[in-house]
Order: sequence, then structure tokens, then C-alpha cells
Amino acid sequence: MSISDIQSGTGTKTRNLSWPQIAFGVLLASLLLIPLGIDNAFVSHVFITICLFAALSTAWNIVGGFAGQLSLGHAVFYGIGGYAGVILFNLGVTPWIGMFVGAAVAAVVGMLISYPCFRLRGPFYTLASIAFLEVIRVLSLHFKDLTGGATGLMIDLRLGWTWMVFRERWPSLLIVFGMLLLTLAVSWAIRRSRLGFYLVATRERESAARAAGVRTVRVRLIAVAISSALCAMLGTFHAMYLTFIEPAAMFALAFSIQIAMFALIGGIGTVAGPLLGAALLVPITEWARASLGSSALGLHGFVYGIVLIVCVLFMPNGIMGVIKRFSHKKAKAADEPAQTETDPIIAPASAFATPDPDRPGIGQDILKVENLNKHFGGLYVTRDVNFTLREGEVLGLIGPNGAGKTTLFNMISGFLAPDEGKVSVRGLDGQFHQPNNPADFAALGMGRTFQIVQPFAAMTVEENIMVGAFYRHPDEKDAREAARETAWRMGLGPLLNAEARGLTIGGLKRLEVARVMAMQPRVLLLDEVMAGINQTDVRRAIDLMLSIRDTGVSIIAIEHVMQAVMSLSDRVIVLASGEVIAEGRPQDVVRDPQVVEAYLGKEFAHAHA
Amino acid sequence: MTTFLQVLLNGLMLGGLFAIVAIGLTLIFGIVKVVNFAHGEFLMAGMFVTWLITTRLGLHPYASVIIVVPMMFLLGALTQRLLIQPLMSAEDDHVQIFATVGLSTAMINLALLIFGADIANTPNFGLRTPIEIGPVRVLTGQLYIFIAAIILVIALQLFLKNSQTGRAIRAVAQHRVAAELMGVNVPRIYILSFGLGAACVGLAAVLIAPLYPTSSNIGTYFVLTAFVVVVLGGLGSIPGAFFGALVIGLVDSLSGFYIGSDLREAVVFGIFLLILILKPSGLFGKRMTLSHLS
Repeated sequence: MSISDIQSGTGTKTRNLSWPQIAFGVLLASLLLIPLGIDNAFVSHVFITICLFAALSTAWNIVGGFAGQLSLGHAVFYGIGGYAGVILFNLGVTPWIGMFVGAAVAAVVGMLISYPCFRLRGPFYTLASIAFLEVIRVLSLHFKDLTGGATGLMIDLRLGWTWMVFRERWPSLLIVFGMLLLTLAVSWAIRRSRLGFYLVATRERESAARAAGVRTVRVRLIAVAISSALCAMLGTFHAMYLTFIEPAAMFALAFSIQIAMFALIGGIGTVAGPLLGAALLVPITEWARASLGSSALGLHGFVYGIVLIVCVLFMPNGIMGVIKRFSHKKAKAADEPAQTETDPIIAPASAFATPDPDRPGIGQDILKVENLNKHFGGLYVTRDVNFTLREGEVLGLIGPNGAGKTTLFNMISGFLAPDEGKVSVRGLDGQFHQPNNPADFAALGMGRTFQIVQPFAAMTVEENIMVGAFYRHPDEKDAREAARETAWRMGLGPLLNAEARGLTIGGLKRLEVARVMAMQPRVLLLDEVMAGINQTDVRRAIDLMLSIRDTGVSIIAIEHVMQAVMSLSDRVIVLASGEVIAEGRPQDVVRDPQVVEAYLGKEFAHAHA
Repeated sequence: MTTFLQVLLNGLMLGGLFAIVAIGLTLIFGIVKVVNFAHGEFLMAGMFVTWLITTRLGLHPYASVIIVVPMMFLLGALTQRLLIQPLMSAEDDHVQIFATVGLSTAMINLALLIFGADIANTPNFGLRTPIEIGPVRVLTGQLYIFIAAIILVIALQLFLKNSQTGRAIRAVAQHRVAAELMGVNVPRIYILSFGLGAACVGLAAVLIAPLYPTSSNIGTYFVLTAFVVVVLGGLGSIPGAFFGALVIGLVDSLSGFYIGSDLREAVVFGIFLLILILKPSGLFGKRMTLSHLS
């Protein structure tokens, strides 16, 4: 489920169209040209249905695919659009206005019902979306004055472009085709933009996305609003096309499932997938329905169900997944770069700042931690922790397992609220601020890595780093440029197009640092970036951190690799059982009897006394 | 007052019915950690088979339990083996969700193909006879369902707690990998558990068929409520599902009477959403799940 579906064009500077793109263009054009050429009412109807479902599914995919929120209640928005259109129509308002009213209502409803559901995962979000659909269906049956209840609503007979109701099929086809193009364009634009990267990043790893400064709730709300507005507009169109609506049809679970199903079969989370799914399945079922008639009641649904099961079992990434695998194989056969990631090519000299004597001096305080207390139940994880970090300083944070180091990091990056005490960060304005969530910390220039690496597994190395780079570069091109530059600096250059899930632990640790470096932080929190990597990599990592330091970035590093702690840190803080037991120059701290005791026990300390 | 008592009793009886449908669902969720969106269609299938046996062979509907329960066990076991097991290691949830959603869609429409859109009425053999209990009355069939639900809860609890297989099931429910390391055949336990959950809903189908008309979409009607019950009771908790079902039964009955029968679904799903959003671990206890039987 990578986000790079039609990637071939974006990788190279020259915009040569690849064969999948050409095929996609031909398919899209044929959706309009075939029915116009054949000019048969049934054929036109089938193609209108394809366009409608393709567009609905594309809109669904913004939430269900990009954001990974598997909604099976999207008929709510389609229904809202339908009802808004018909109700206003009968009041004498043209559906061209009605569809925007419906879109606005649907966007608001979408945000209202999604906001409390974002903490729900997987099937629970799906269940909640179904429940909302049911509630709204029941309510629409109940408020008969507005919706006509179970008997439904019929539109008054008014024909022409103003009313979006026609005797012939072709004007409807033009309208729905236009809406399909619009939806695809929106989906394509989102996928390539910062919003799209943020959505996928949030889907893949929410905490890592938050550390990269993504306001996860906000981006998902935006996605929901766009998706529901588009569905509502399509609902208005469809209501005009059907000229009659009722709650059972407008707010149907089966309909919602169909919308999602086309996306899954075509390729969930891809731009082209939903269209492919609809173009493949709709004609089969419409034909079956027309030719077999009522004798085959349920046949098309049965086919849908079976196709869905087969698809899930044998091609979970849909048609797009198959296409991608095929084109990848061809590309691989052509040229495979023979670089292993444990021995990356040294970065271009210009990008590599050598640890040189003109290191900027240590400046004023940039981070202040005062009386930080955190306890889980009766267990104190940190107790009255106080320290400051100065600009350009490297502060080593050491301590035995369970000392509370990572908890401390979580509190000074906004992931965990302290019970008492405060964390203040000096902003660019020279004032100290007290942020309280990861995004605000990020906004003040704090970046962090995670002890247990959190890559966005389905993204490539480049895309992973871009998520960080977007923080400084809202434009996709700039972000890509910045990400590449950072990747080379971190020795990840040869792996730019590799999927993150394929990296070794050393590679992942470097990716973790690269992602946060792409945010250009002023304060860097590194949580055991050297744990579990080999000696060569440790040495390289030390050089890397020195070069980062020399650009004026302040660093706090949790580290167990003493070689690194000793050679990097200007100052070391030792944490044991949640308390700071020693602080000072690295050479002094390691000789401190209390520190030796904390690490090795009383006996050892006595034996060497 | 009598009316109120009658509404309460109706609610309790409805609760028993929801419970017997929901027990299998929560069992499967608690162990296999898969939300079976096709659970309602399992019920529907069981009801159609009960209807067939009763009408074609002229047997008492309860007699069909001998065929329906093993058949449903097989269906559940096959579902796990052929559909869920290959997807157990999938990285994204959506694959498993779509798998059972697909199964549900296929089964509904298959029933529509075979039995048409007509309603199938299972002969009730006197199960719809009301019994007077003081001032209120209840259908014999309803009472049997209620009793069966209680017996099923207790039997499952005893099985899970005391038998060797039950212990293995609980171990798998708690930690799949650790159980595997201890020599438990995890795939077999999953197949068994899915089968067991489906067998429970088979029993439910036999008991419900004489009281409710069977149709291809009957499953959707019951399963949505069963989801509510399972979430309310704490996912994977069998006693939780039982008490959750009673609560929902009462809410359904009371709101149907006092608010309006067309809005009771909105009330039930409204509560469902509140629980999901405010207390996703369910109403009853923090961790009263399969792994923490008490």
C-alpha cells in the first residue's frame, strides 16, 4: 500500500509519460467517448454509473485510503447531498447551488462525527461509521416533514441545464464525467501535496507523524471534510439523475460497502485504483442486472462479495498492486544499483560539514526543565528533575534501564504531560514558551527520534524524510529536494527509493535521524540512535552528530554506547530511579561513586573503593 | 404499572435474544481478534436451515439443533481456515475487515438467489404461546432463549476455565506468540474458536427461527445490535456480553415504548457511539475479557 502508485513520472525530471499513465488516460477518455459514440440509452446509463461510482470511490479513498480510516458509512454524505439537492430543488433552488449547500452540510457533519472517532482503530472506526449511518438513516425516516420519510421524495418536473434534469442521457454523462475529473484532480493533488504525505504518515505511524510536527487531528479532519463534500456533490447529481430518493437507498450500508469495495479492488490508497475498480466491476453487474433481470436477484451482490474475498486473499493491493509489481520487475531487471546499505557511498563533500575548530560556542539556555515529576500509580518515573540545555551544547543523558530516560524525553517533546513541573523552550523571538503537545514543541524547533524506530513502513526512504522536510518546505518539490540532500548527508543516498520496511536496523536508525534533521530542528532529542548498530556505524554516527552540532543545533542524547557518550557530550546527566544523581563533565561523571553504584551495584563500588 | 412491568420483561427477553446472538461474536473477537462482520449472516444461514428442516421434515424446530450446530461449527472453522488464517499476518486492518464484509455480502445475496426476497416463516410448534407470570406475559420461545443464553454463558465459562483446551484458548487469547512457544497449536485453536463462536450463533438461529420470520437481511438486523452489545460488554467478555445484552434489551424496549418505536434504533446506536467514544473498553469492568476470567 505504498503511496507511490504512478511514481514513474515523478522520479525523473523529464516528464515522460509511462505506459500506465497513458493507459489510464485512454481509459478515462473512453469513459466519455464510447457512450457518446454509441449513443444508446443503456450504454450511457452504464457509463454514467461507472463515472458516479468511480468518483464516489475516489472521494472515499481520501479518507479510507490516504488517511487509512476505513469508513463504511460514506453513504451518509452522499445521502446528505441528495437530500439537500432535492429539498432545495423543490423550493425552487437550482441543484447547481444545492450541491454546494449539501457539500457544506456534509463537510460539517463529517467533521463532527469523525472528530470523536479518530482515537478508534481498525474495525472500531468502521463500526462507528456504520452506527452513524444507521442513526442518520433512522432519523431521516423519523423527520418526515423534511425528508418525506419512508415514502421518499420526488423532484418536481423541471427540465434543462438549470435544473440538471434531462430527457437525454448525454448531458448527465457530461456532468458526472466532469465531476469525476474534478474528484480525480483533487485526489491527485492531495496525494502529491504535503497534506497527502501527512495523511499517509499519520496512517502508518501516528506518533512518528506527531513528532514530525504533523497536527494529526487537523489533517484528518481536512481529509474528511474534502471527502464528504465531494460525496455530497455526487449525491446531489445522482438524486437529480434518479429524480426520486428515499432513506433506504440514500443511507444504505450496502451502498457504502460498494463504494469502499471499488477502491479496494482497484488499489486502496492509490489515485487511479478506485476508477479502475469501478470501471471493471460496474459494467459486469449492470449487464447481469439488465440481461438476467429479476431471475438473478442478488446475483450481482453475490459476485461483488466473491470478488471482494478473492481480491483480499490473492491481491490485497488491488489491480494497482499487480501493475506495480509487474512494472517493478521490469525496472529491476533493467538496472539494479549494486549498493549495500551498510556501506553507503560517502556523501558529496559539499553536504558534509566536517567537525572543524570553528564550532559555534555554547550560547544561552534554550531549554529549561524544572521540577519535573511523573508517576504512574505509586511508581515515580521521574522525581524533581531539573536541568537546562544551552544553545549548541551536546548533553548526554545516561542511566541504567528503567531510570526514566525515555519518559523524560516524552515529557520534553509533548508526548506525555508531566504531573508537576514545567518544560520551557526559548523560541526564535527570544521568549520562553511552554508548549504542551508535540506539534507545538516541533513549532519551537524541537525534534526527536524514537528508541524503537518508527518508520513509515509503506513509504520509501525519500518519502519518509520528506514528511520531516515538509515542515520547512510546504511545496512538494522543495521538500523532495531537501529530503534528498538530507538523505545524502546521512548516508542514505543510495537507498532513496527503497521502501523503509526493507531497511536494516542501522539503516532505520539513520532514517529516524534523517527524518528529524529534515525538519531543521534547533534542539535535537536522540533516543539511543546507536543501540544495536555495528562499530563502523557507531563511528560514522559520532561524526554525523559532531557535524550536526557544528551547525549550532543543541542535542540531548540518551545513549548506552559509552564511547559515543564520552566523545560527544559536553556535559552528562545521570538518571537513576527517576532522579538526577550526577551531572557534569563526562570524565568526572563516570568516576562518580554514586554513578558506578547505580550501574554496577554496591559490591562493585566497594571492591574498587 | 403493569404496562411498565411488561415493557421491562419484554426488554429482558429481548436482552436474552441479543445475548445469545452476541456470545459467539464476542468469543471470536476475544480469541481470534477479528471482528466478524459476517456474524449476522451466519445467523441467517442457520435460520434458513432450521426453516428447511422444520418445513420439509416436519420436525420440531428445536430438533434441527443436531444438524444446524455442527454445520455452523464447520462453516466457522472453514471461514477461519480458508479466509481469516491466510490474512492473520496482514499489516493493515482493512484486509481482514474487507474479508468478512465480503463474506457477508456474498452470503446475503446468495440467500437472495436461493430463497428469493420472500419471508420464510418457520412453524412455531406452540413456541409463540404466551405464559402468564403474575400480571405480565411472555412467549415460551422467548423464555427458552433467555434460559439457553444463561446456560450457554455458564457452560462456556466452565469450559474455558477448567478444560485443557479452554486453558489453551485463554492462553492464545492473552498472547498468541507466548502460547505458541509453550507448544500450543495456535492455528488449530483459532479454527476451533471460530467454529465454537459460529456454533453458538447456530444455536441462536435454531432458537430464534420459530419466533422471527427469516429473510436474507435478517442478519444485518440482529448483528448491528450484537456489535453494540459486544462493545458495551467489553470486547471478548462473555459475561459482559450477557449483561450488555440485557442493558440494550431494556433500552430498546423502554425507548421503543416511551420515545417511539421508530426511534429506538437511533437510541441504541446513539448509546453505542457514546460508549465507543467515551469508554471503548466497555461498561463492565476494565478488563473483564477472556484473558481475565474471574
